[in-house]
Amino acid sequence: METAALQKIARRVRFEAVRMIYEGKEGHPGPALSCADIVATLYFDVMNINPDEPDWEDRDRFILSKGHGCPIWYATLNERGYLKPKVEHFHLRELGSIFQGHPSMHSGVPGIDMTTGSLGNGIAIGAGMAYAAKVHKKDYYTYVICGDGEMQEGVTWEGVNMAKGRGLDNLVVFVDNNGWQSYKTIEFTIGQNNMADRFRAFGWHTQEINGHDVEQIKAAVLIAKKTPGSPHAIICRTIKGRGLSYMENNNKWHKGVPTEEQWAITQTELGGE
Amino acid sequence: MAKFKGVREAFAAALTDLVVEGKDVYGVFPDSLSAMRAISFGEKYPERYVECGIAEQCAVDVAAGMATTGAIPFVGSYSGFLTMRAGEQMRTFVGYTDLNVKFAGFNAGCMGGEREGVTHQFYEDLAFVSSLPNFKILTPADGNQMYKAVKLAAELKGPVYLRGGSGKEPTVFPEDAPFSLDGITVCKDYGSDAVILSTGHVLDRVIAAADQLKEKGINVTAADINILYGDNPAKILEVMAKTELVVTVEDHNINGGLGSYISRLATENRPVKVKRIALEDYSESGPAKELGDKEGFSPENIAAVVAKCLGK
Repeated sequence: METAALQKIARRVRFEAVRMIYEGKEGHPGPALSCADIVATLYFDVMNINPDEPDWEDRDRFILSKGHGCPIWYATLNERGYLKPKVEHFHLRELGSIFQGHPSMHSGVPGIDMTTGSLGNGIAIGAGMAYAAKVHKKDYYTYVICGDGEMQEGVTWEGVNMAKGRGLDNLVVFVDNNGWQSYKTIEFTIGQNNMADRFRAFGWHTQEINGHDVEQIKAAVLIAKKTPGSPHAIICRTIKGRGLSYMENNNKWHKGVPTEEQWAITQTELGGE
Repeated sequence: MAKFKGVREAFAAALTDLVVEGKDVYGVFPDSLSAMRAISFGEKYPERYVECGIAEQCAVDVAAGMATTGAIPFVGSYSGFLTMRAGEQMRTFVGYTDLNVKFAGFNAGCMGGEREGVTHQFYEDLAFVSSLPNFKILTPADGNQMYKAVKLAAELKGPVYLRGGSGKEPTVFPEDAPFSLDGITVCKDYGSDAVILSTGHVLDRVIAAADQLKEKGINVTAADINILYGDNPAKILEVMAKTELVVTVEDHNINGGLGSYISRLATENRPVKVKRIALEDYSESGPAKELGDKEGFSPENIAAVVAKCLGK
């Protein structure tokens, strides 16, 4: 897909993600917006998928390991045509809604390949999917988006080891490296934010890109696919809350709901075509 | 059918035979292939052997990911490392998702971990797994039953937890005995003075206690419970209905295992006195027989508890 069209979709799903949080009165807008360009590029350009057949066995798999960012995933699935008819009001986190607080593969949202929300598990689960592809002689890829904060979970590195040990070069992990976690920065919390060095040290094929540049995202996936032998990490420099002036790099928006005034700003900055 | 002795070799043998039968099964091991006595499985079917390193949480996650593709992974390791260290992964990514992952947890009970000591003995697993919706819990008493339980687990849809001990437990069931889908097998039916219910590798001790009681003129029924918290306890209730005293015996903490299950069945269906023989503290290192005796699982103690409850 052309860059301008992808950027337009990314803007659209950003707006929808914030809208569902504004209407539902709860959610994590900052973490959703920082990975919007990655999710949009995967679903509208990179992944081999069929929204009319969400369980197609040869489809590329996707895991949002940082499950609290799910508003962007719900919005993207809706824009991509998974929800039929297209959803107008998400009722995010409301009783009886299919749009659970964190993604559930059985809540009724088509296209959710794995339940997530408990941080740190996406890489190991993705490794399982990637391993199954190898033994089932399938050529699908498994894509995982992790937050940089959740890399503090030990199980993350268990999955990193396993994927390297089994040579899972059909596994592509994006790290949404926005530099923040629930309370403060990654650097404050663990003293450093050296994601790329870590993945390289674990033997992964590692790239560093601007996670808001759809061209760079597309190019990095192509390079990954041409580099056999090891799993792939794409460390994406991102801005938490990217796309809204009042949210960008402001960790107050890790979780929060826009006021009416802020919603008006949202409509100005992200609404319309 | 591959040859085996004890629950661990039985697990590996059944997994091997399932591959031969064409099932899409895998052994997912957190560096536990050797401990599971499954080296020949790994050597024979390297693609079916999924090594995850010493990382139980990862092993459960990998199995969950594999199960989304239609594969049937069996995660084999020590019961506590699975149910406690990787408990959240079992709950959220297998139980909640209702994925077709099977768990084989060994070293269960003080006799399961025996000389290795408390860090490698696990008496809490059933309390945890029994609180997970969608899980089925199978507790085979010996190798012959474990072999059949593994085969059954592969047929059941959804999460299954198989509980096993050291692999050195006595063989009680004949090779051709079925794994009861009723969740109960009556082993001795001497009478209705009491019903002694056993689960797992204490069964030989319960049967010996029944024999000792008979010699003293106390006639009991001794039965093995091989499915805990199952959907259909009708046959268990039928056996419990014939007595006013049920005694449960399990190599598990007194809370959350067989005794809790049977107490629930009694209180919800037909109130009857239930006496539980189980662990109430952390155990210690020791050879299985001596350790089991010390922890109250000797046939003599089981018989004495039953007699005391009957006022004899």
